[in-house]
Order: sequence, then C-alpha cells, then structure tokens
Amino acid sequence: MFQSFRHAATWVHTWFGLVLGFVLVVVFFFGSLSVFDREIDRWAIPESRFEPQPMPSFDKVLRPVFDTMQPMKESVDAMRGKVDGPMPERFDTVRSWSAYTTHRDPVLLLWASYEVPGAQDPHDRVWGNRTIDPRSGKVFPDDQLKIGSQFFYPLHYGLTLEWQDLGAWIVGFAGLVMLVALISGVVMHRKLFREYFTFRPTRNIQRSVLDLHNMTGVLALPFHFFFAFTGLLIFAGHYFPVTHTQLEPLHELHEKIEEQQTGLPQDRAGVPAPLASVDAMVAEARRRWTAKGMAGEVGLVSANHVGDVNGYVSVWRAGTDRIANVSDGIHFKASTGEVLYEEPPLTAVGSVGNFLIGLHLQHFRHWLLRWFYVLGGLMGTVCLATGLIFFVEKRKKQHAKAGGQSRRVVDALAVSTITGMLVATMSILVANRLLPEALPSGWPPRGDMERYVFWGGWALAMIHAFVRSAPVAMDRLNPAWHEQCWAVAIMAVAAMLLNWITTGDHLLRTIGAGYWPVAGVDLSLLVTAGLAVLSARRLGRKALAAMPVPRGGTAHA
Amino acid sequence: MREVILLTAALLACTAGMGWLALAMERHWTQVHEGEATAAQVLRMRALGTLGLAAGLSLCLAADHASMAVLVWVMALAASALAVALTLTWRPSWMRVLTCFAG
Repeated sequence: MFQSFRHAATWVHTWFGLVLGFVLVVVFFFGSLSVFDREIDRWAIPESRFEPQPMPSFDKVLRPVFDTMQPMKESVDAMRGKVDGPMPERFDTVRSWSAYTTHRDPVLLLWASYEVPGAQDPHDRVWGNRTIDPRSGKVFPDDQLKIGSQFFYPLHYGLTLEWQDLGAWIVGFAGLVMLVALISGVVMHRKLFREYFTFRPTRNIQRSVLDLHNMTGVLALPFHFFFAFTGLLIFAGHYFPVTHTQLEPLHELHEKIEEQQTGLPQDRAGVPAPLASVDAMVAEARRRWTAKGMAGEVGLVSANHVGDVNGYVSVWRAGTDRIANVSDGIHFKASTGEVLYEEPPLTAVGSVGNFLIGLHLQHFRHWLLRWFYVLGGLMGTVCLATGLIFFVEKRKKQHAKAGGQSRRVVDALAVSTITGMLVATMSILVANRLLPEALPSGWPPRGDMERYVFWGGWALAMIHAFVRSAPVAMDRLNPAWHEQCWAVAIMAVAAMLLNWITTGDHLLRTIGAGYWPVAGVDLSLLVTAGLAVLSARRLGRKALAAMPVPRGGTAHA
Repeated sequence: MREVILLTAALLACTAGMGWLALAMERHWTQVHEGEATAAQVLRMRALGTLGLAAGLSLCLAADHASMAVLVWVMALAASALAVALTLTWRPSWMRVLTCFAG
C-alpha cells in the first residue's frame, strides 16, 4: 500500500493528527491552564482570596460540616433505576467523609459518600461535596464555579462530556494518537538533529509553520511523550475496567485478602460505635512521620464507615516536597483511635507508578517546574495548532486550482479550535466578573450561566470563522484569524479591568501585597493581550498582502 | 534563596550548553560568525555544550530532591533549547557571548 515505512508513518501522522488534533489542542491548552487551576479559582471567586491554609481541626471544624451534608441531587438522580425499592429521602449511612488539601488551597473541599439501601450493586454510592473556609468552617455557596479546578481541569481530561464518560474516552483515544503521532513524527522528520534549533519566520507561511511545528514538537518531545503517557496511565483503570468486568471475582478475592492483611474492614459490622477524636489520631500520625525523619503536613483525611464499630480513619501525608500526591498513610480504629495499620514502604513498581502519576498531577511545591509545565503545554498547543494550519496551507494551492471547498471547512475548524478556544476562555472570565452575585429567580445557577457563556462564545467564534472563510478557497488568509485575535486582546484586557472594578484588586495592590494567585492571572491576561495584538497585526498584514493578487493570477501561481 | 540561586544557575548552564551545541552545527555557526568553524572549534563547543548540560543537572540535583530535580532538568533543557532557537532566529549576534569560548 505504501512505498516505504516513512510514507506509512506520514499517512498516519497526517490523517490521525488531523482528526484528533482538534481534540488534542483543547486537551493541551486547558491542561496548561489547569497547572494553575487553584490560582484561577482565586481569581474567579473573590471571597476565597486569602492565604493557603493547613488542614483544620477535624473535630471542631470539619465534623460539624460533615454532619449536615447530604448527597447532591445529580448523584441521587444518577442512582435511580439502580435501586430495588424506593429511593430514600435522606442518607444517613456514611461510607466515607474525606478532605483533601495542598499547599495551594485556601479553601477546603470536603466530600462524602453514602451507602444506598437496596442498591443492586452494593459498591454503588451517592456523593456529596462542599467547599468551606477552613479558618471558620463557613460554607461557600454551591452555585459558585471554580473555573480552574471545576471547569478548565475537567475540560482537559474529559471535555466536560459526562454522558457515558464519552469525553474521557475521546481524550484517551486522542492521547493514544498523540503517542503515535510523536513516534510517526520522528520517523517522518528527515533532519531531526540538523534542524533541532531551526525556525525560519520567512514570508512563506507554509515553511515557517512547519518549522514552528517541528521545533515545538521536537524541543519538548520528552514532555509531550510523558504527559500523553502518564495521562493514559492515570485513566488506565477507566480504559481497562477489568476489575469490575472479567476479573470481578479476582477483585473481590483481593479485597478480602487485603482486609485480612491490613485489618481495615471493607464493610460495616452493623454495630453502632462513636467516632473518637480524629485530631488525636492526626497528632499521632504527625508524630510518627517526624520520627521517620519526614515531618510534614496532612494532605488527606478520611473517615470510613462512620458510626460503626468497623469504622476506621486514614491520615495521609501531603506530597508537597515529593512527586507523589500523598504518602505514608496511617489508619486508626475510629472508635478508639488505636493504630490499625501503617502503610509499608512502597515496592519499586508502586514507587514508579506514584512518580509517573504524581508528575502529571503535580500537587508538589515547585513554582519553576510548574511554569515549565505551562511552557511545555503551550508548546504542545502550538505544535498541534501549527500542524492543523500546515495541513490547510499545504493543500490550499492545489484546491484553489481544483476549486474544492473542503479546505475552507478545515481552515474554519482550525480558526474555531485555536482562536475560538481563546475567545471562549476569555468569555468565561469576563462573564464571571460581569454576572451579578445573585441572579434573578428562575435563572440557572450562576456557575451554569458562566459555562453557557463559554460555549456560547465558542459557538459565535465558530460561526464567525465559517462566515469569513471565503478567501481560503482563493488561496488567501481567512480574515477571521486576525479579527478573533483582536477579540481575544480586547476581552483579556477587559477581564483584567473588570477584576479591578468589581473587587478593587488591581495589579499594583496584588503585586504590592505579594498575592500572586490573582496578580499572576492578571499578568497572564495582559501578556495574552499583548501576544494577541502582535499576532493580529501580523496576520492582518499577511491577509492584506495577499489581497491585491488578481483573480486570474492565483489560478496560475 | 539558596534554591533560587541554584536554579537560576542551572538555567544559565543549560542555556549556555544548548547554545554551544547549536554553535557546533555549521548552519548556526555561520549565522553568528563569518567563515566555517575549524574541527577543533566544533569539538570544543560540543564538549562545552555537554559540560553545560551536565552542570545544569548537578545544580538541579543540588537544589531539589532527586526525583524532582530530574523533571526540572528535562524541562529546563526544553526551555533553554527554545530560548536558543529563538535567539538564533531573531538576535543571532547575542550568541557571540558563547563563541568567545570556542578559541
């Protein structure tokens, strides 16, 4: 079928890259933003703009909040149809209460799971969560959207397509294609080392776009490879759900053996028992970490089978100074506080797994590395975007001759994906600052409105890209490229100014106070605006430069 | 503060290393200098480049836990290579700082 392996690799790279490239641009861009998800959350929720806090007292702060929690309506609705008999009004059998924090979290996310009486699959749970101010226990409203961690981050790994987890599957397939594209790209590239440092921003768009594609792809190759690979690894259990399909009996057996080895009960005994002081257990865990020479903060606390004699409490050390998210868990008997089980040192395989997953999820403290990840992610975004543009540029001339319209579609899709994605991102930030705190009754929750504005902005950008795409058929540049760059620039500055007007936190104040989460977002908005203006002017000139070519001229060019 | 100094030094070492490795290539040498580099100059720049990257790794290891240092170094290589590539594109004359070591 193909003359050589290189031809085959080129075919795979071109066509799989084209189809999944649109998805991968989104994955890489929102992945880059997710590196600073907590900081974007601070920008979006002004009441949460204070310093990161350590895990608060469980007994005094967390317990009273957990006691009032109930599962979310969405979670209960999702359970309907999987229960024999009626769905209860209240859920009082707590499977677990958990709280997780990192060195970047001022607010604390709590989540609780409840057993469902009559569930067809006894493993099924209903879930609830709540965000609190750990200093006072004050609860944040549920309709506030943490734009970073609850929107950009889910977009990154699942496109927010939750139906049947479709988004996660699409992203997983795209991740696999990314690995294939990296390998086939290296095979195709005849001068990988000779052109390692080469970028020629010449008048020839095709040449400079290809240079940029190769450069951003090759220079950050280890990053691209490891992030695609570890991303797949994180979701491995999702993509190969064998533990609850073919290997279910083995999984059940493993649970039983694990229960015997660790002494941590899988199920409730049905005998009520109180919950002893969790603060005392946390103090004991910290004492043991210090004795091991690794004093640290608490990252994760969870209480299991609350109110039952089989209940136990797990305390995990935050991975602030390690690559792994959390480590060195110690488990206590909930009713007495005695130590049931201390996690042994990890096996070699376990450590490698934790390292690979931790390097992707990056809950450690290292600001330089964090910014390097943004750089790597943005280089990936540029690599994918230039790949799409190169596809169009290479074929534009031929198709201008043949009179085909298909490149118009691909070009308009490229505009929608690349600048359209930026327009959408700016829209949600502007909407976040413009929407009133309390919306009139009958409106959707504020967080949902912000999401709608995001998708609406993206849809408008797409319509604009298609409407303006006629010049592409004549081998010219789509004016939507530079028009959308202007839109991004204006909206980025507007978002920064709106943050100032609505909260009073202007850059001089945030930088003066050293409050970098908000200052960083504002500065990034300004840099984005600057780059967008530069691109808009350059693209505008190119669009004009291509204009005066007489109609007959293009056909013979 | 110690970390900031070590990591800044690591970044400089990696950038210089990548710069020398680029200058060891004929195309980039001629962007900066007239005439071709001698075989001895090419060899010296390759050696300096390798040393620069190795120094970068040692500085990263001095700043952080080894598991983190490796990640920082790999990403520093990407960032410094990008910086060198863009300098060669727009400000090749800046690279002369490095060629004075080429003898």
